[in-house]
Amino acid sequence: MGIKINALKCTNCMACEMVCSYHRDDGFAFLSACIVSYRAKEKKDYFGMMLKEEDVLVVARPEGLEINKIGEEADPDKEADASAKPMLLREGCDLCEDMDDYGPMCVAFCPVDAITLD
Amino acid sequence: MEYLSTDKILVIDLNAGQVEEDELDESLVEEKIGGIGITRYLYDKYRQDDPIVIGTGLLTGTTYPASASGQITAKSPVTGKVCHCPVIYKLGVEIKYSGYDYIVVKGRSESPVYLWIHDGVADISDAADIWGKNVWEATDELRTFVGDDLLQTMMIGPAGENGSDYAQVCFNHWSSPDRFGFGKLFGAKNLKGLAFRGMGLIEIAEPEDYVEQSLEILKQVKENDFIQKKGLAQILSALGEEDVVEWIQPVTHRHSADYFTPYATNTYLFLDEESGLLEESKKEEPGVLVSDIYALLGFKKAGLSAVDAGRALKACAKYGIDPFAVTQLSGKTTLDEIKDCFDSIKGEIEIPGKGLFTPWCPTGPIFNDFDLAGEDETLAWWERRQAVSMIFGIQPLFSLMCPELTEENMLELASLGTDLELTQEILDAVIDDILG
Repeated sequence: MGIKINALKCTNCMACEMVCSYHRDDGFAFLSACIVSYRAKEKKDYFGMMLKEEDVLVVARPEGLEINKIGEEADPDKEADASAKPMLLREGCDLCEDMDDYGPMCVAFCPVDAITLD
Repeated sequence: MEYLSTDKILVIDLNAGQVEEDELDESLVEEKIGGIGITRYLYDKYRQDDPIVIGTGLLTGTTYPASASGQITAKSPVTGKVCHCPVIYKLGVEIKYSGYDYIVVKGRSESPVYLWIHDGVADISDAADIWGKNVWEATDELRTFVGDDLLQTMMIGPAGENGSDYAQVCFNHWSSPDRFGFGKLFGAKNLKGLAFRGMGLIEIAEPEDYVEQSLEILKQVKENDFIQKKGLAQILSALGEEDVVEWIQPVTHRHSADYFTPYATNTYLFLDEESGLLEESKKEEPGVLVSDIYALLGFKKAGLSAVDAGRALKACAKYGIDPFAVTQLSGKTTLDEIKDCFDSIKGEIEIPGKGLFTPWCPTGPIFNDFDLAGEDETLAWWERRQAVSMIFGIQPLFSLMCPELTEENMLELASLGTDLELTQEILDAVIDDILG
């Protein structure tokens, strides 16, 4: 079982990011989320989501999924954003295993069902 | 104020070049709740200094559906009244997480400055390098300077610097709900704008109950048929402007939502790029994000193509002028004429009701009817709904769509979140105070 992301359905509302961080912090914040809205290319209207799992970083781009094995060398042809969050330092997705009433919070709170359980 | 709050009010004196912090007293929240209840209180407190008061709602930046909005309260150079402009996109949330619930900007600076507010720190910074630049250039330059593409800005362009009546305070690169000429007020204070960034933590008194109730409300919201729709054209269609849908479709790229807002109220138009492109555009500025339904409609009614309407909106956002005022007051019907007329926009646009809230929002319900009958009842409902949205920090367009967002459940969540007893009687008194 895992998180499935449809970046074309995503409206970049950041609900997933907030509730994921809430699950870690028991307060409202964004800093601990393992799923984040990718929104650094605002002028180009290019957005999607990034999800850190235990061994991989999933980048859900509008044109498709990109799965990067953590620890492998990054593609030198791809430019990193100055504001890219330190996703790799964050805890990986645990499917909100301690949130019995909800299941994964990002799935429960996504208003447009862009995030589902696979 | 321990919960749903940063506990801080920032007071910036541009005359003296000084920054002070006050605590947000719990008693003030018990009396005024938040948002424009408190920005209006702070405006009155500092009235002699002609302040601009920026704030967030009590629920802003939480899990309550559409808790996206901040507020600007100031005396409008256009109407002469103290008015309230909602702060949309992700900016309202960034204000709260940057470390302050409320920001009072008083006085006038001797030279151009901008305010850099981040993680509970506030600086008055020299704006010499960005004064004279348009909104897009200034925002890009600050993001590059700080090294953070997620920096959120509230910025004026040449219109505000030149004292245009309809100068608009823009948010990031985009036009805003400001129909009050607040950009002129910024310019008169030698204030180029504000930049926000923050990674704060907001505590909740009863976190589990707050989040559980939020999800219950969201589930009810998702029962609405409109939840399957997205974007500005569908809103205009619901308001009787059905032909906008076909007109705008060829240049529509994607739709995006304000923070935690279930309906995507913003539509991005690709003007120099194939609208179906999914990959990242190689062009630096392929289009424009539009949130102003009546400006879009105004350019359509002036006879512009959808592409030219997008180019006109983009030009307005760069210059920092209210695009709706341009459509209503310029009398221009070609893109070139429109781009050349910004400095000559004069006249009055109608501000409905008591003139406190922006007609950027339709003055009636969207998608649902809310069981309203007649113009008077609808206008009274609209003003109350705007006031409530801006007390609690709810995205003002979405609040016009969604009957499930009730005063009762906003108060319930506010009480759960703060551990204060916030009642309907208090809310009624705050609204009466605001509406006068």
